[in-house]
Amino acid sequence: MLDPSELQILQLALTISAWVVVVSWIPGVLVAWCLARWQSRWRVVLHGLVLLPLVLPPVVTGYGLLHLLGRSSWLGETWFAWTGMHLAYTTAAAVIAAAVVGFPLLVESIRLSMTAVDPRLEWIARSLGWSRWQTFLRVLLPLSAPGVLAGMSLAFARSLGEFGATIVLAGNIEGETRQIPLAVYTLMNQPGHEAAVWRLCGLSVLLALGSLAVTGWLRQRAQRRAGTS
Amino acid sequence: MIRASLRKQWPGFGLDVDFASEGPVLGVFGASGSGKTSLLHALAGWIEPDEASIKLRGRTLTHVPGGVRLPIEARRVAVVPQDPLLFPHRTVRANLAFAPGAGERLRSARGQRMVEWLHLGPLLERRTDSLSGGERQRVALGRAWLADPALVLLDEPAASLDASMAREVVALLLEAKQAWGIPMVLVTHRSTELMALADDCLLLEKGRIVAQGPPIEVLRQAKAHDTESWTGVDNLLALTVLEHQPKDGLTWLDLGAGERLAAPFVDLPPGQILQIAIRGEDLLLAQLAPGPTSARNHLRGQVTRLESIGGEVLVEVLVGTTRLQARITQGAARALELARDQAVHVLIKTTACTPLWV
Repeated sequence: MLDPSELQILQLALTISAWVVVVSWIPGVLVAWCLARWQSRWRVVLHGLVLLPLVLPPVVTGYGLLHLLGRSSWLGETWFAWTGMHLAYTTAAAVIAAAVVGFPLLVESIRLSMTAVDPRLEWIARSLGWSRWQTFLRVLLPLSAPGVLAGMSLAFARSLGEFGATIVLAGNIEGETRQIPLAVYTLMNQPGHEAAVWRLCGLSVLLALGSLAVTGWLRQRAQRRAGTS
Repeated sequence: MIRASLRKQWPGFGLDVDFASEGPVLGVFGASGSGKTSLLHALAGWIEPDEASIKLRGRTLTHVPGGVRLPIEARRVAVVPQDPLLFPHRTVRANLAFAPGAGERLRSARGQRMVEWLHLGPLLERRTDSLSGGERQRVALGRAWLADPALVLLDEPAASLDASMAREVVALLLEAKQAWGIPMVLVTHRSTELMALADDCLLLEKGRIVAQGPPIEVLRQAKAHDTESWTGVDNLLALTVLEHQPKDGLTWLDLGAGERLAAPFVDLPPGQILQIAIRGEDLLLAQLAPGPTSARNHLRGQVTRLESIGGEVLVEVLVGTTRLQARITQGAARALELARDQAVHVLIKTTACTPLWV
């Protein structure tokens, strides 16, 4: 069983991942909508930008974020002036790092389920009198809902495994930013903690498998839903 | 009702039309690839024309370049496509009630009558993927009508259905036209649908209008234009009802000069015009008067034209004041020694005469 410090690590990991999903699902849905339906040359550029964190080394993404949000950056200073708090090296920074790295997975899952929806259904809805936005809410979003949920569970799972960007932007602070991978890394470098490392690794595998199972089930539902008319 | 002039160029195909119609049902007829569906999509605002001016009952829907372009949702033009495109995540009831305000209209007495009339009552709580093709098309019609549109665009509404379901949908459309008075634009490649439903008709060929007028005229021109989709009905006749013999299942029609045609019974008052289709291969020609046969129509006529088409001969016979066209083989034409001005007997079974006014 897990000891209290490991339970705290698990709790922090789940909290960070839950926040990642909460803050990124709405932007993810809107960006996916643009990518699925926007008829413009700029769509390719937007798609490239969204996918970038997927192919960049997470440490590089973290370094970029640190320059954008760090204490000496313009954004970081403005945030400090407003709130009296720093962003970097906080739980919020861990959420931001994991959200940015998980964003491509979230968007791609939603985009794929949206492109599987017959666009003529949206034309029909508009011909029946609904605006573009209302049509999105009444037709496209419900029909791609399983894809949205699958994207959310992927982003959640990805956050549980986030390491590179987090350690650069949020550091490795016990109780604040040290989630499972950071704890494994820390314990690995301290003698006598092999059993704890194994337990945390096992926990990671279980959480990842659970997330993948949920994602797969939702994706199947998305296909079934889009396949009928 | 509608006045439209629009141009749109795609690679390899261009749509260039200019028409005005009082409807209330405007048929758009043509072979596949003639631009019928593109025209419909342009009217609905689903595609952006290069140049267009579209007015519906005096309201400008589009005037480009430079002017108005009403968004799709502001046009009040509902579309019923060939594949009914029901919303798969909604029940039949939720599909019917989909349009803004349609829920209330569905609950009103008129809405309830419409549900009853579309035979959708028992299906209201069903999922759309459990419906048959005909049922789905009826839901699509109801959904469009309950949106209270100024115009309904029907894109081959019966094309994907089997014959009996297609007949059912055409009958519903005809009733809708008469009972609910909803203006419609009907795209079809079936002459029977056109004859049954349309008041005015456009014939489209390669993105251009080549004829406009009453369906029967346009269909004749379609034949002259050799429209690919021409369905092989050689005789499209508009004949006056003389009298009925309901017991025998007959309606007698006037062929002029005292000659009469027996058609299957149709409940239309004498004096009304009934449109009839007869295939050329259903006309039997004889040199001498035959004895009693099962055919109700033993007519006398005169050959006015002979034309060889492939292995067949198209024989035009004047019966009364009506020209009928028979298709026979070259061998049969030789055996009868057919020649112009020759007197012939024409036999037609009543069941070969298809009334087009359902």
